[in-house]
Amino acid sequence: MKENQRRIFLKVLTSLPIVGGAVLAVSAVLRYFKPTAIGGVKGLLAPPDEAGSSVQIVADLSELTQPWDFKEFIYIRKSVEYSSRKIQGAKIPGFVVRVPDEFADPHDPKSKFVVVQRICPHLGCTFNFVKSPEELAGGYNYAPPPPTHPYFACPCHLSVYDPTRKQEVSLQGALPGKVVSGPAPRPPRTMAFDIKDGQIVITGTEGGGVG
Amino acid sequence: MVKAIPYLIKALLGAPATFLGWFQERWAKMDLFDESHVAEARTNPWFSLGGMWYWVWMLVIISGVVLMIYYVPVTDQAYHSIERIQQNWRWGPVPIGAVMRGVHKYGADAFIILATLRVYRMWFTGEYKQGNEFSFIIALLLLIIGMYSGLTGYLLIWNQRALWATKVMATFPTYLDQNPSWIPFGHLINLSNQGKTTAQILLGGTSIGPATVTRFYAFHFMLSFIPMIFFELRVYRKGFKRMNISHWAKLAVFVVILAIALMVPAALGSPANPEVTPNPILSDWYFLAMYHFLKLQDPYLATLLTVAIPFLVLGSMFLDRRPERAWGQRQIFNWIGIGGLVYFIAFSFLILNGIADLHRDAPIWYYSMGLFLLIGYGQDWAYVMKRDGKRWHETFHLFFVAFILVAMSANTLYHYFGDIRDWNVLAKAEMPKVLARLHLSNPLATPDMAFEWLEQNRPGLNLWLTSHTGPDKPAGLELWRVHVAAWLLLLGSGLFVGLSRWGRKKAAEAEALAAKAKPKPRPAGV
Repeated sequence: MKENQRRIFLKVLTSLPIVGGAVLAVSAVLRYFKPTAIGGVKGLLAPPDEAGSSVQIVADLSELTQPWDFKEFIYIRKSVEYSSRKIQGAKIPGFVVRVPDEFADPHDPKSKFVVVQRICPHLGCTFNFVKSPEELAGGYNYAPPPPTHPYFACPCHLSVYDPTRKQEVSLQGALPGKVVSGPAPRPPRTMAFDIKDGQIVITGTEGGGVG
Repeated sequence: MVKAIPYLIKALLGAPATFLGWFQERWAKMDLFDESHVAEARTNPWFSLGGMWYWVWMLVIISGVVLMIYYVPVTDQAYHSIERIQQNWRWGPVPIGAVMRGVHKYGADAFIILATLRVYRMWFTGEYKQGNEFSFIIALLLLIIGMYSGLTGYLLIWNQRALWATKVMATFPTYLDQNPSWIPFGHLINLSNQGKTTAQILLGGTSIGPATVTRFYAFHFMLSFIPMIFFELRVYRKGFKRMNISHWAKLAVFVVILAIALMVPAALGSPANPEVTPNPILSDWYFLAMYHFLKLQDPYLATLLTVAIPFLVLGSMFLDRRPERAWGQRQIFNWIGIGGLVYFIAFSFLILNGIADLHRDAPIWYYSMGLFLLIGYGQDWAYVMKRDGKRWHETFHLFFVAFILVAMSANTLYHYFGDIRDWNVLAKAEMPKVLARLHLSNPLATPDMAFEWLEQNRPGLNLWLTSHTGPDKPAGLELWRVHVAAWLLLLGSGLFVGLSRWGRKKAAEAEALAAKAKPKPRPAGV
C-alpha cells in the first residue's frame, strides 16, 4: 500500500509539466473564443477591444437655454464587428441635460451640461428624465428632498440618479449622476463631448457596459 | 491539534493516490440516464425520468436540426424567418413549420422540467450516496447546460424579450470588473478586465449585434449536441440500454409534446428594438426566479451568488456524508431541497407580478433560508440523539448553529444598515430638522451634509454601525467587519476542534494497531 502510494505520488509529480502543457493548449482554445480586432500574439489576459467611437452632433445650444432643458438623442457608436463588414453601429440612447448654473463651474462652459448614456448601469434598461417629484415618489419609490429638481430614474428596478451631484467611480474619478436610490452600483456611463460652433458634439463613450 | 499534524502530512502525501481511487470508483458507477435502475423503473415511474429525458433531448435535437433549414441567423432576417416558419401550419410557406418549432420549444421546456425533476428525485432520495456522486453531478450539469442552451436559443428569435434578457445576461459578467476595494486584490482583478472579456466572448463584440447571433447559434448547437456525443460514446463502451422505458411511454411523451405544439403555437413576441425597454424585462420561465433574485441584491453580490448556486448545491451534497438515505434521517438536506423549490416558485410568482422591495423583502428571504436550515437541523438533532441513544447536549453542533445564526443576522443587518436613511428611525426623524437648519445658512445643503452633521453631533445614534461610507465619510468599525471577524473565528475554532478530534482518533487507532502487533509475551517455562 505504502509503495503504491509513493509510486502514484511520483507519477503525479512527473506529470505536472504535462498538465502545464495541456493548460497552455486549453488557453489557446479559450483565446480562440475571444474576439479581437487586431491579430497577432495577444494573450487571454490582454485587455478586450474597447467600443469604437464616432463624432456626431446631437444637440444645438439654442435647444438648451433654460436650466433643466434636456434632449434625448440616439448616438450611433461605431465599433468593430468581427465579420467581413468590419464595423457595426450600435445605437446608444443618450441624454443631454442643462443643469442650473449654481451647480456648474463658472469657468468651464462644459460643466453646464450633463451628457450620459441612457443605459442603466444596473442591468441595462433605458432610463427616463423625470421632472415631477410626485412621479418620482409614486413611480420610482423616491421622495426627493427639497429643493426638488428633476432626476434620472429607471423604471425597471427603480434606480434614481441625481444629475447635480457626482459620485466617485474606481479608476474613473467623480462622475455626474450620483445614485440616490435603488440598486444601481454607479452613476450612468458618460459620453465624451465638446461644444463647437454652438453645438454639442459627442466624440466617444465610456466603455464597460453592453450597448 | 499537535497530534493531528503528522497524520495531516501523511494524508496530504497520499492524497493523489486516494483521489485517483475515489475518482475511478465513481467514474465506473456513474449513471447517465437511470440505466442502472432498470428494476426500480418497472414499478416506480420516478425512475423512468432518465429515459424520458434522453428521449426528449433527442426529439429536441431532431426538430432543431430540421428547423435550421429555414432559419436565417442574421439580425435583420432572423425574426421574419421564424415568422415564416410559423405561418399557417398546414398550407403556409413552410408546411408543418409551426409544429416543428412547437416540438422544439415545448420539447426544450420538457427537457428542463424532466431534468429538474430528476435532480430533485436524486436529491430527496439521497441517490448520490454510496459512491454515486458523479451521477448527481452529471444530472445537475446537464440541467445547467440545458438552461444555457435555452438562453442562447431564445436570442435566435431576435424578439424584444430575447434581446433584453441577453443584455441583462451579458451585463452580469461586467460586474466582475467592479470589485469593491475591500476585496483582496480587487483593483488588480478589475484591471485584468476579465468581466469585460467574458462579456465579449459571449457577445462576440462590444455590443449585441450580428456577431452575437452567429455565436449564440453556434453555442446553442454546441451545448446541445456535444454532451450527447460523449453520452453516446459511453453507451457504446459500456453497452447498456439507453432509454429504460417502453416504446409506448416514448410515444406518449411525443404525443403530449405534439398535442401542446398543435394547440398552443409557440409565442413569437415582437421584433427586437434596442431603443425601447420592455417593462418588466422578463426571460424564459426557468430564469424568472433568478431574475427576481437579482432584484433583491446588490448587483455585484448577485453576480457572485448566481454563479455560486450550483457550487453551493454540490458543496452541500459533499457535506451529506452519512450513509442514511431514508426521508426522516437526513432532514437538513431535505429542507435545502424544499427551500430551493419554494424560492423557485415564489420568486417566479413575485417577478411576474412585479412585487419587489429591496429593503423590505431581502431580510425575509434570508431569515426563511436560515429558518429552513434550523428546522432541518432540529429534526436531525432529534434523530441522531435517538439513533445513538445520547443526551441532547452530546449531539449538539454548536458551531453549525452559531454559523447559521451569524449568517442570518449578517445578511439581515447588512440590508437594514446598508442605507441609514431607511433604517435608523431616530436619524430619519432628525434628518429633515437638521436639513432645515442647514438650509438657513446654505440653501444648497444636501441630505449627505445633514448625515455628516448628525454623525458629528449626535453620537448616540450609533451611525458608526452602518456600512455607509464614501469619500466624505471614512470607514469606521462597520458591521460587516464584525461579522466577517465572527465568521472567521467560528470557522477557525471549528477547524481547530475538528482537527484535534481527528488527530486524537488517529493516534488512538495507531496505538491500538501497535498493541495488536506487539508479540505476546512467551508463556513461562518454554
